[in-house]
Amino acid sequence: MTENDFNRRDFLKVLGWGGAAVALSGCGNTSIQDGQETVTSYVTLPSFVVPSISNYFNSTCAQCDAGCNIMGRVREGRVLKAEGNPNSPINRGRMCGLGQSGVQAHYNPDRVREPLLRTGDKGETITWDKALGLINEKLNGTKGAEIAFITGGMSGHVQALLGNYMDALGSKNHFSYEAISPAVLRAANKKAYGMSMPRYRIDKAKVVVSFGADFLGAWVSPVHFSQQYAQFRKGTRPEGRGVLVQIEPKMTLTGANADRWIAVRPGTEGVLALGLINALGKAGMSIPADVAAVSNEYTAERTSKETDVSAEQIEKLAALLKERTPSLVLAGSAAEGYAHGSQNAAAIALLNRVLGNVGKTVEASASVPFPQIAPTVGNRSSLIALNDGLAAGKYKVVFSYGVNPVFSAPASMKFKDNFAKADFKVAFAHYMDETALAADLILPLDSAMEDWATVVPEYMAAPEEAGSNTYAQMSFRQPMMEKVFPDTRGVGDILLALLKQRKADEYKPFDDFYSYLRSAVLKNKVALGGKAGDDDEVFWNETLSKGIVPLKGIAGSVSAKASAAGLKLPVAADADPSYPLRLIPAVSASIRDGRNANEPWLQESPDPLTTIVWDSWVEINPKTAAKLGIVEGDIVEIASRSGSIKTQAYLFPGIHPDAVSVPVGYGHEAMGRYARGVGANVFGMLDAVYDKETGELALNETSVKISKTGQRVIIVKEEGPVGGSQAGKPKIAVQVSADKVDLSKEV
Amino acid sequence: MKCFLRSLTLLVGLFFYASSHAADALPTLTTPDDVGPVIEQPIEFPHFRHAGDAKDGGMQINCMYCHTYARRSMVAGIPPIQKCIGCHQSIESVRDKPRIQKLFEYWDAKKAIPWKKVHDLPDFVRFNHERHIQRFYFQQDRPYQEVCGYCHGNVKAMTVAQRQKPITMGWCASCHQKDHLVSANSSKTGHGPNDCFTCHK
Ligand code: SF4
Repeated sequence: MTENDFNRRDFLKVLGWGGAAVALSGCGNTSIQDGQETVTSYVTLPSFVVPSISNYFNSTCAQCDAGCNIMGRVREGRVLKAEGNPNSPINRGRMCGLGQSGVQAHYNPDRVREPLLRTGDKGETITWDKALGLINEKLNGTKGAEIAFITGGMSGHVQALLGNYMDALGSKNHFSYEAISPAVLRAANKKAYGMSMPRYRIDKAKVVVSFGADFLGAWVSPVHFSQQYAQFRKGTRPEGRGVLVQIEPKMTLTGANADRWIAVRPGTEGVLALGLINALGKAGMSIPADVAAVSNEYTAERTSKETDVSAEQIEKLAALLKERTPSLVLAGSAAEGYAHGSQNAAAIALLNRVLGNVGKTVEASASVPFPQIAPTVGNRSSLIALNDGLAAGKYKVVFSYGVNPVFSAPASMKFKDNFAKADFKVAFAHYMDETALAADLILPLDSAMEDWATVVPEYMAAPEEAGSNTYAQMSFRQPMMEKVFPDTRGVGDILLALLKQRKADEYKPFDDFYSYLRSAVLKNKVALGGKAGDDDEVFWNETLSKGIVPLKGIAGSVSAKASAAGLKLPVAADADPSYPLRLIPAVSASIRDGRNANEPWLQESPDPLTTIVWDSWVEINPKTAAKLGIVEGDIVEIASRSGSIKTQAYLFPGIHPDAVSVPVGYGHEAMGRYARGVGANVFGMLDAVYDKETGELALNETSVKISKTGQRVIIVKEEGPVGGSQAGKPKIAVQVSADKVDLSKEV
Repeated sequence: MKCFLRSLTLLVGLFFYASSHAADALPTLTTPDDVGPVIEQPIEFPHFRHAGDAKDGGMQINCMYCHTYARRSMVAGIPPIQKCIGCHQSIESVRDKPRIQKLFEYWDAKKAIPWKKVHDLPDFVRFNHERHIQRFYFQQDRPYQEVCGYCHGNVKAMTVAQRQKPITMGWCASCHQKDHLVSANSSKTGHGPNDCFTCHK
């Protein structure tokens, strides 16, 4: 038995002695490491700082254009996390995952750290003095008309400075571009309601019918709408629990949350809207004569045939809308991304008029009283204008800031080649992305957590209190810590330095953008909510600490003037047999247009619907896949007339059998270690088809064919087998297919 | 085979066992398990001068005058140099002492002093000073030197601090298991939390 007595415990005892031998000769005890690390104290410390206890600084999220107000948690001089600012009418203390990843943009190891100059194929680091001097040199003797500046959507004092700089250069060529832009929505809203961004009140509606507006995921101001949606779904609300119907060919996050998801044939959303109006009329609702003249043609039979939505469903939906008012009808990118996108949006807007929602769930918003800081919103038509100019050799010096058109322009635009035609290209860059790589001079930017700015959101949310129809706001963005890389600069600082080259006297008083901003704010103290007698320092500090400056805005008004005149919806053409499927580029809630693709949290957080991580995928309806002999994990080639990509196939019942969907924003060739080579870039293969009225890129107008490459992978995803493991659990409820759900019970 | 492996482990164990006797030849510490090593610091800070009793030439300054965060934060904190200078700029009598000169050198250069950690817990342990100070100093009204001394020993008699207690989990737990008065004016008792996640988050 002697050997058997030697059990695990004895062994540990013996080992323990051995350990003690090591420990005794070292620092006395194995579990602590006295005297190894330094604990460096501060030289001086403001009294509000207590080590290990966080301070919060109010700022504004820069991860998308919604402009949520955030608080940065700062401990021992490092920003650790962002939280929503509870006093914000936009996000009311919440944030989205994309916003959370802002700290990874800040600490990102792939940030550009020094100014870089290209000579031929080589790049060299240069000093800021040299970089700014070089710009000055290149601009001297260049006419204003030969200078162009491309940016994303902008607002606030940085925009004001940029405006001044362009004036100083005598250039009118500021192009504001967003890869995924609600430009069609803006134009349609302007026509239908008299303002391009009214306030939507999901929280007040009894029914929301959304034509492809992914308002919980990526549409306009998703955190704000998610807050409204939470109200909308409360049974305790006076209006009762709201019913959400989502109509779209590819299921979005919002679609997945809907009570009913209706897969419409891609592009026929407008037809369905008119069919609904017709059905409403049949159900006894009075339809204005001008609308009826158009909608009468769309009988249930015709609508059903064109849209693939059964007559019964249309009837039920109409009954629901008639029964429950006010409702709210939204149009999103899934309905707008067509050559007739504006027509679709107009038809959908008619529904709001017919249902009497305008003024109830579509409310007027206010705009900021200072036009210089009001948002300049981006769209695709400005990129086309720039591209045409570049192609014609009109621009000699081109600046780019906050956009990546080399990545996001369809290949058929040949943007990269045209960009190369400009003599001197300057990129204000956070990463060495595709556009920065194509530039001659790269200026490294501060992160949004190191920089000063003011932000005016395009979608102006307002608090519930009275007077909210004149509520407008400006938000502050302020540094939360010292720069991570000492040689980066804020965009405002760079613009100021450039302005000093042109107008030294005017800008002499300002040492840096901070002093410019401070003096601009103090000059308008009264308009920004202060009193004339307030102490400057106190006012400035208070304003900054709140982060939100409510302004008495210019009240807008909405009118139910949506007109049916001129509305013409094309009959869906039969698919081209060589390109039989419709490609729907999806905008995911985290990667969006791809500008943040180098933040690993976004790559590794599973897509909400497919649970796929770290790669692109193509969603194919199982029926279509069966026909093509495709199974999950097959690497397929998706080819359009303009290009092709290869990616893994994912069978997804939430997509119309005539369509396939690939998320945008993946497939970077540059940018950084987390983005480069991950997935495929779908922007490049899009056909250059544009909405006829606004010139916006018709995202969903590309037809494709799919073929197997013969390779197969195991998709890296979170989900298990369908339905999950049910071992030992009572049977889960039988799934009812969407068209069998009895919506009348919800009426 | 199994038996062979067992005897092999035994042999290895015996080797270590033997070598632990060799360790006895090392310079012996007074109570080897408790006291930490003498740690060389950038400035040999005389705790006894600041916190020591008046009869020993000390100034009886409350620990928390300098380690001011202990009652408000997880960490007790090393005071910013600003704090040292706050007093020392008006104590001319010791101004030319080498340690004070060194202090002013750091201050003039606005450079932080790289103190070495004397009590360094592993990263998977979260110790909270505030809870302990609040409980024993404020609620139980015990003298501060006793309260800090539970873990830090008699610092008022040291120059640079040296660890006096094992600060291991067993040692922490041994105190958490004891009944302590809930507050100075109550006879109710309670003991420290015993949940893993209190310290291991
Ligand atoms: S929606 Fe998300 S990413 Fe956009 S501003 Fe708000 S928190 Fe930031």
